[in-house]
Amino acid sequence: MDSTTATPSGHAPASGAPAAAAVRARGLRKVYGSGEAAVNALADVDIDFAAGAFTAIMGPSGSGKSTLMHLLAGLDSATSGKAYLGSTEITGLGDKELTRLRRDRVGFVFQSFNLLPMFTAEQNIVLPLELAGARVDPAWMDTLVQTLGLADRLTHRPSELSGGQQQRVAIARALIAKPDVVFADEPTGNLDSRAGAQVLSFLRRSVRELGRTVIMVTHDPSAAAYADRVVLLADGRIAGDITDPTPESVLAGLDALRSLDEPEAAMR
Amino acid sequence: MLRLTLAQMRRSLGRLTAAGIAIMIGTAFVAVTLIAGAVITRTSYDAVSASLADADLVLLGSRDQGLSAEDVDAVRETDGVAAVDGHMRLWTELSAGTKHAYPDVTTLASDPRLDPQVLLDGRAPERSGEIVLPDRMAERLGVEVGDTVTTERSSWVPADAADADGADGADTAATDGADSADSADGAGAAATDVEGEWVTRTERLEVVGLNDDPTGAFAQTGGAVVVHPEDAERWALDDTMGAPVQYTEAVVALDADADLESVRGEIEAAAPEGAVLRTKDEHAQAKTAELTNGADVFTTIVLGFASIALLVAALVIANTFQVLVAQRTRTLALLRCVGADKRQLRRSVLIEATILGATASAVGLALGIGLAQLTLTVLGGVNLDVPLPATVSVTAAAVIAPLVVGTLVTVVAALAPARGATRVAPLAALRPADAPALTQRRNLPRLVIASLLTVAGVGLLLFAVIGGREMDEVLALGVGVLGGALSFVGVLVGAVFWIPKVVSLTGAILGGRGTSAKLAAANTLRNPRRTAATSTALLIGVTLVAMMSTGAASARTTLTEELASEFPVDVLVWAPRSLSAVAEPTGPADDTSAPTVLDQRLADELDQIDGTAQVQLVTSIDAVVTVEGAEATGPLRVLPAPAARGVLLAPDQAEGLDEDSVIVSQGLAEVLGVESGDVVSLGATTLDRTGGTVPTGESVERTAVVTEFGQGFLATPGTLEAMGVDATPNEMWLRMDADADPVDVVSDIQDALDETTVSVAGAALERVMFQRVIDTLLAVVVGLLGAAVVIALIGVANTLSLSVIERRRESATLRAIGLSKAQLRGTLAIEGALIAGVGAVLGSVLGLLYGWAGAVTVLGVMGDVRLTVPWRDLALVLVVALGAGLLASVLPGRAAARTSPVEALAVD
Ligand SMILES: Nc1ncnc2c1ncn2[C@@H]1O[C@H](COP(=O)(O)OP(=O)(O)OP(=O)(O)O)[C@@H](O)[C@H]1O
Ligand SMILES: [Mg+2]
Repeated sequence: MDSTTATPSGHAPASGAPAAAAVRARGLRKVYGSGEAAVNALADVDIDFAAGAFTAIMGPSGSGKSTLMHLLAGLDSATSGKAYLGSTEITGLGDKELTRLRRDRVGFVFQSFNLLPMFTAEQNIVLPLELAGARVDPAWMDTLVQTLGLADRLTHRPSELSGGQQQRVAIARALIAKPDVVFADEPTGNLDSRAGAQVLSFLRRSVRELGRTVIMVTHDPSAAAYADRVVLLADGRIAGDITDPTPESVLAGLDALRSLDEPEAAMR
Repeated sequence: MLRLTLAQMRRSLGRLTAAGIAIMIGTAFVAVTLIAGAVITRTSYDAVSASLADADLVLLGSRDQGLSAEDVDAVRETDGVAAVDGHMRLWTELSAGTKHAYPDVTTLASDPRLDPQVLLDGRAPERSGEIVLPDRMAERLGVEVGDTVTTERSSWVPADAADADGADGADTAATDGADSADSADGAGAAATDVEGEWVTRTERLEVVGLNDDPTGAFAQTGGAVVVHPEDAERWALDDTMGAPVQYTEAVVALDADADLESVRGEIEAAAPEGAVLRTKDEHAQAKTAELTNGADVFTTIVLGFASIALLVAALVIANTFQVLVAQRTRTLALLRCVGADKRQLRRSVLIEATILGATASAVGLALGIGLAQLTLTVLGGVNLDVPLPATVSVTAAAVIAPLVVGTLVTVVAALAPARGATRVAPLAALRPADAPALTQRRNLPRLVIASLLTVAGVGLLLFAVIGGREMDEVLALGVGVLGGALSFVGVLVGAVFWIPKVVSLTGAILGGRGTSAKLAAANTLRNPRRTAATSTALLIGVTLVAMMSTGAASARTTLTEELASEFPVDVLVWAPRSLSAVAEPTGPADDTSAPTVLDQRLADELDQIDGTAQVQLVTSIDAVVTVEGAEATGPLRVLPAPAARGVLLAPDQAEGLDEDSVIVSQGLAEVLGVESGDVVSLGATTLDRTGGTVPTGESVERTAVVTEFGQGFLATPGTLEAMGVDATPNEMWLRMDADADPVDVVSDIQDALDETTVSVAGAALERVMFQRVIDTLLAVVVGLLGAAVVIALIGVANTLSLSVIERRRESATLRAIGLSKAQLRGTLAIEGALIAGVGAVLGSVLGLLYGWAGAVTVLGVMGDVRLTVPWRDLALVLVVALGAGLLASVLPGRAAARTSPVEALAVD
């Protein structure tokens, strides 16, 4: 692993050497548009996300957070560079393989929940397994339902659930197939702070207690503080890396980004 | 606000286009119908005025009096009249070899202005015995200028003037009637009021010219021949049996300097009572007014089908606007937030509908005119007998009606969605655009209305079906139609309550395990109103198609059974009976003037045809049966008893037939008051000139046997001999193989008899004929309903694409969590097939019930109605609907599959 040399900051990865990287990016580049109007959304990003860790990605609006996540999850194709899920290079896969990969190895949590309105909470949770034609593991289902506090909400439809409850259903849906990694794009963006805090602690518990890997994009420093590690992005490049973040250290990191005009100098 | 409306329309162009196509088809239908009606009117107008050529005036005799030769002469002597021709109703049979034609007969017009025909070749008839034929008729007869054709004329010769015939046409008419005349009173024809004899003579006519009827003046009768006035007059006198000839009308050409009004006044003054004088235009207008009654009926019926298509289009449009409004909820709410009032929102939706309706109608109108013109052009190339106009005449009505109707239908269909737009609360702009609530408000009034209509309609329908036989036929039919319409409207109004349930239930049953099926079934339930409307649109068309084909199938079966009891045999061939049907014992065995003889050779020839099982020569004469003063006349069929039992459809009709018996039909047995076993006396009769009957030959005693035999009597050749009647066979009875296809066999038989003068009838033939009629009618009706079905299928595609657009985020989410593209397409395909399939199945069931009800009501008077299920047609409907449902999902499915999973992450 040579992420250390690749990071402009020259920072070492968090808390020693993790057992294995769940997700890796090498020279990942994404250019939107062409010619004059070309936008370098991601510029040669190299980064590793450790398995069994909760990582937050932060950065100013337009810095390329969502783009990075889309590429890592196989939702969008890179202009150049490679992305790996475990040992699988996903940048070279076709739609069929990507679909299978998303079905079996990746989970998603969306800002606007994206539950299917015609299905009950339970039906929504088990949907990925149904799509894969796999059987529900009752013990795992039970664990999820208990952990996320959904036991008495399973027969409700999304329209009968609060936003926080809907997002917890979405988290259960993301975890039901025991994916290698769960991506969450601003999962608390549509929630008030109390419901948001609940969702974040569930995400953290799913990492600590259930051994999952979570990568989350967020704008909120206090949300980022729930993570084990914070990766800072600016102008499509990795601009910083904070281990064991607190709201204060995250804010400080972001301030440092904002105070500097030159992306190359964005270190601390 | 208008700018905003236009901007919104631009954004929804795809959806609006799909809806527009629906209305376009509807208006094109209306336009074509109106134009076709106009063409029919126009064609009749042209035909009417064509027969008048360039006449200035036409004098029409009253219906019962006509115009006498003196009346015509009086017109001719009027000052200012250049030429007058009297027209009479006269036609004749022309023969050339074995070919025959039945043209109108005219004489050469005395003025070119009065002549609608054009001489193509040769010259006009200059003396008696010459004829000009329409070129196409000459071709059909296989004759050219210089050849000879013959015509057979019969004239009544009073007994005291036996040599009268040929007196006025001695130089031309080769009279062949001498034989018959000689034998005239040999058998002692009974005295009637005037004694005399029908004398048949054959006249030879030399073809001296060929003509053409470019304006279609004689299109209805297939052309007119021109003969010398002398011949025409003699033939006319044949028809009137010597009474003075009456003209139906006289056409008048005026001198160049004559004053129309003054000449008109003079002719009118001299005209006989009841006669009407008109100019050519006045006449054409008056005639057209009579004729277009027919065209109006046609137009009305077809417009009925067009309105069904428009109704279906309205459902599709209402659907589209509902979704458009739902999709714009946020925009509408935002507008409300910034101060737009409800009226403005409603107006915006209605303006959009008006623009859409007007545009689509205009395109539909253009399409309709184009289609009509294309049809005319194609038909023009086919060279029909009826001269059609080369270009469509687009009347104001044909333009305005489709435009107005199309626009109105669209606006009316958008009314409910427009009201929906006003219900959008400004608050909706502030709420996150979340999944729409699934709960639908229960609409109690709608449920009540639907139930009431359905119950009342079914009640009326049952009343018509059950009570129909005791009621007046037309009344029963009216009640039935009303009941059917009411209940169908009820079913349609109530569709929103039950169709979605049926759809999802079907989906649940069919797709218990597959995720795609499960998703599809759940999706159809999300917007019950839309699912119902889409299914209903298809249901309308399918119900009507199924109803028609069920009715047709039931009619077919019922009529087939009726015919079996009505016709004794499968096929009946008979030679036309000349007026002296029974050849007298002393007369010749063969009438040389009858071109076709039914003999064993011909019978054998027919026997050779594939599918004929038995061919039997039959002699049919008129007979009278008397018993104890009661008397009944009817046809007596003579054939050997075993043959009769073999050839009759119901062999037991000839049970008990032998040398000593005569079979008497039930009807005549009732008249005579005889029962089986009674002895009756049987004799032959012949017709006299008044149509009365005169006994001939000997009377014989026979034992009556009453059977189900349909008409008249049956006896053996021995009986005929005993009656002293020596007649030749003039009928052939055929039985077909049980497994033969009647259509093939009958057309083979008709081919074999093509060049003869015999006629063909019989159960099989009638069956084939009415089957053709029913099938043709069915095909036309189904074709007309096809437009409605096509529109409905557009509706299915439209609904599916709207679903795709609406569920963009959802589709992306599903893709993100592992739904493959194929599964996504599959989901839509199942959804389409579900909506279409349920519409088709329910429509088939409803159509079956309505078809049966209709068949019982309409056919009930004829006896027992056989309810038939047209399995083949129904299966076809189902396959088409399912296939179309799948097809309708292809494009939306592709669009959905293109959705990138990334969009799931997008916030609005
Ligand atoms: N589909 C696209 N087409 C063109 N440019 C795009 C597209 N998506 C993103 N971009 C550009 O790429 C850059 C990175 O966008 P991205 O969505 O990754 O930012 P982000 O960090 O997620 O921002 P935010 O915090 O606002 O969500 C931006 O400059 C954006 O304008
Ligand atoms: Mg983003």
